[in-house]
Amino acid sequence: MEWETVIGLEVHVQLATVTKMFCACRTSYGEPPNTVVCPTCLGLPGALPAANLEAVRLGVLGARALGCTVHQTSVFARKNYFYPDLPKGYQISQFDKPLATDGAILVETPERGTIRVGITRLHLEEDAGKSLHDRIPGQTAIDLNRAGTPLAEIVGFHDLRSPAEARAYLTTLRQLLVYAGVSECSMEKGSLRVDANLSVRRPGAPLGTKTEVKNMNSFANVERALESERTRQIALLEGGESVEQVTLTFNAATGAVKVLRVKEDAHDYRYFPDPDLPPMVLESAWLEARDAELPELPTARQGRFRDAFGLPDYDVGVLTAEPVVADYVEAIVTAGAEPKVAANWVMGEAMARFKETGTFAVTPDRLAALITLQGSGFLSGNAAKEVFREMVEDTEADPKAIAIRLGVVQVQDAGALEGWVDEVLAAHPGEVERYKGGDAKLIGFFVGQVMKRSRGKADPKGIQPILAARLDR
Amino acid sequence: MKIGTGDVRHIATLAELEISEAELPSLAADMERIVTFVEQLPDIPVGDRTSVTVGPSALRLREDVVDPVPLARPPEANAPAWRDGFFVVPALDGLGEDE
Amino acid sequence: MMASAVAGLVERLESSAHLNATLAWSHAALEGEAANVRSVGAGPLSSMPIAVKDNIVTTTLPTTCASRILEGYVSPYEATVVTRLRAAGALIACKANLDEFAMGSSTEHSAYGRVHHPLDPDLVPGGSSGGSAALVAADVVPAALGSETGGSVRQPAAFCGIVGIKPTYGRVSRHGLVSFGSSLDCVSPFGRTVDDAARVLEVISGHDPRDVTTHALPPLDASEHLHRLDGITIGLPAEYFPDDLDPGIRAACELGVARLREQGATIRRVSLPHTGAAVPAYYIVNPAEAAANLARYDGVRYGTRQIGDAGDLRALYRATRGRGFGPEVRRRILVGTFALSAGYTDRYYARAQAARRCIIDDFTSVFADGVDLLFTPTTPTTAFRAGEKLADPVQMYLADVFVCPASLAGVPAMSLPLGRSGGLPVGGQLIGPSLGEARMIAVARLLESVLDATAEVR
Repeated sequence: MEWETVIGLEVHVQLATVTKMFCACRTSYGEPPNTVVCPTCLGLPGALPAANLEAVRLGVLGARALGCTVHQTSVFARKNYFYPDLPKGYQISQFDKPLATDGAILVETPERGTIRVGITRLHLEEDAGKSLHDRIPGQTAIDLNRAGTPLAEIVGFHDLRSPAEARAYLTTLRQLLVYAGVSECSMEKGSLRVDANLSVRRPGAPLGTKTEVKNMNSFANVERALESERTRQIALLEGGESVEQVTLTFNAATGAVKVLRVKEDAHDYRYFPDPDLPPMVLESAWLEARDAELPELPTARQGRFRDAFGLPDYDVGVLTAEPVVADYVEAIVTAGAEPKVAANWVMGEAMARFKETGTFAVTPDRLAALITLQGSGFLSGNAAKEVFREMVEDTEADPKAIAIRLGVVQVQDAGALEGWVDEVLAAHPGEVERYKGGDAKLIGFFVGQVMKRSRGKADPKGIQPILAARLDR
Repeated sequence: MKIGTGDVRHIATLAELEISEAELPSLAADMERIVTFVEQLPDIPVGDRTSVTVGPSALRLREDVVDPVPLARPPEANAPAWRDGFFVVPALDGLGEDE
Repeated sequence: MMASAVAGLVERLESSAHLNATLAWSHAALEGEAANVRSVGAGPLSSMPIAVKDNIVTTTLPTTCASRILEGYVSPYEATVVTRLRAAGALIACKANLDEFAMGSSTEHSAYGRVHHPLDPDLVPGGSSGGSAALVAADVVPAALGSETGGSVRQPAAFCGIVGIKPTYGRVSRHGLVSFGSSLDCVSPFGRTVDDAARVLEVISGHDPRDVTTHALPPLDASEHLHRLDGITIGLPAEYFPDDLDPGIRAACELGVARLREQGATIRRVSLPHTGAAVPAYYIVNPAEAAANLARYDGVRYGTRQIGDAGDLRALYRATRGRGFGPEVRRRILVGTFALSAGYTDRYYARAQAARRCIIDDFTSVFADGVDLLFTPTTPTTAFRAGEKLADPVQMYLADVFVCPASLAGVPAMSLPLGRSGGLPVGGQLIGPSLGEARMIAVARLLESVLDATAEVR
């Protein structure tokens, strides 16, 4: 009999603010340890929290992007536990009155097509610092630069039925949050972190005992880790054993999960409303203004790329994966380029550069100008690529000037073209005879010879009419 | 409510307080006295427990501008143990905590 | 600032050493303070020496909260109230002794020894701001900062025969006040006179963006002077005058009421029915908040560290906290942890919050019903003997029965000396509506002018 896998994911994303959640320290990444700290994020005696408006705004945008209901009143609470990188001995989070609840997103899955995945809640909280276990032998080193960084915790409902679905969910979730401008969502930099809960059961049976898997540093590894855990649980059950409620850690090198610890009874976090922070009350006018500033989300954009630009589904998928790429394509089209040609350019030459450097070196206007030159026959396809490569280096000169400088402009002058055509026809009398005898395919041969003779500079569109005129005479 | 030494030991574990065995009985007695005293609280229907707010009724939010309270002394000036820019504690093996 | 003024202060600090009221002061720090006074020039508190309770952080002197766990700790930043005092030309005279982390009503729970009452060394000065109160009462300084959580300024003010004002919660910034019960904590001034205390309150009050629980209001203006009390209604809540009230306290209060009536006030008997719930509710809400607020003292980032026997992190935590905190602090942490622990939250914390809500409503309705101020005794007894209530924490807590309700409700309240009973000061309490300090202080000023605080009441 089959096993059904049930997965729910908890995702933490770092909100893209300038300062921390409850103090006016910069958020930092890669700074020397314990240098971006203040009394509040060090948890010094007498220091108090002051909540960051921008973090709230981004939390609201994220919640709306995930279809959640944003509550006008939410409450920050203290979650009490001791850990050396938690400076106050409690984390300021939200508990029984979170910012937002009851959302859902649509996810394209390999096995079940489009599924709806519920978003149970989205709440705001502060990050802890970092504990480094391998810096100093026998000791743990504590860096509090990250302490207080604003996070949104997004709790997804256990609507996922396979590791591949979990990965698809994460991809969609991330895309939505990046589109909404909420977070950079980089697992590599730790600005998106995933904890996964997985259980297996016979279809229709009640939920099985779930385990928690941590320490996955990419979406691909989330899928691998969950595959591994699913296999482990099924093996246990089929071997007549039971699944214990444990926390596991994923080892990317071996692809295996390992039990980190057996979960004792639920932690006693002793939540209570943080008396340092009055209830957060968001006016309805303010919330409406946030809805108005929510950027176009992936589905809407994909629809537009398909319908208004006439792009095929494959192109739409590639070009809308990241909003920065979609914005780029759109700007090129707005600057006058034909959408499909613009799409091909972005998916080809431009994307290759983007993947290396994370930016587009050629501005949309200049790329649109290049595309126009190519379309008018001024440049051949190969010449345009050559010009593009030069435009990456020389970010000032216009493409036409570069093409002239490189000497790759296509020859469209009728006199020059006629000269090359006459030379080719004179050199190949046999082929001319065969053509005239009805071998029409030879027209391609003549065009090729003219291109060769012109060293690639002849505009192929200009050659054909001349050849036709000469041969049909 | 009766508070035994086991209760005190459990709560002390949650609160990370070392309590010697010798102190447990008197602390249990103190706590029991306090808890019995506070149980005089009238049985008022418990409504929305977050609704007690003295001071401003709604949170004023801060603009997202860098302006930390400056430190007159660096963190290491007060650190009980410090190395290479880090606070240091005994290795975390066996702590059994998460987050 | 005259050098002789500093010398005079030093002499008073030295000659009052037997009170054990200070935890830190230094010649060098006083020189720095004097230089600041000169650079500020004329300010509202020019050259006024002020003692600061040692749970308010200062960069020039250590801040220990009278705890071993913060022994030698010097804050790298300064409390807003201290910055405001300095800007007004005041001089930080010393850090004053207190009950450890402000937990207590007698200033016997200091890791650095108890504070003695200036009139009788065997008596307590009250607490937890007993050091600040004793320094003012002994004329070492004209004013001091204390802090209130559940009466820690009004109660010692009453015991020591001085004035103590607890402002509305949110009137004064807590930035730099070491948190104890965050929803209750208020920096609160002491003065020998209503004027001295009110001037200090004016300077330290007003919105502070660093403390989002402060009201967005400018500094308090408490300059109103009343010549008569006609048209002012003073309520006497029945629950504050129980049948078994100490006769000396009762007599002093009756004298106060008589004076208020003579000045034209209308006296009205009122009821605050949930008063009895205040102390029990307080001893849940306060320890719950305290347990979380004191979790940061873990020996990791600052303060003293004890390695513990096992040598691991958990042993470090337990030893640091178990040995660094004194008995009353540990008791409150245990009670607070218990009150919020799984299965007990509704029975304790939630019920206490519900009771608190009723206490708030009591005050709201009495003030909405035409009462301008309430007048009550500050304490059920005069200063008690050291050691008398140490054996039973609940007896100690009950010393705060008349001061707790205003703390829970967040409304302003103050104590001023009414006279003496058995040679010891008796304090009378005025309680005002939220943000009603100005009127409360004006009435207190007039009442002060028609009372002889040092006279025995008969």
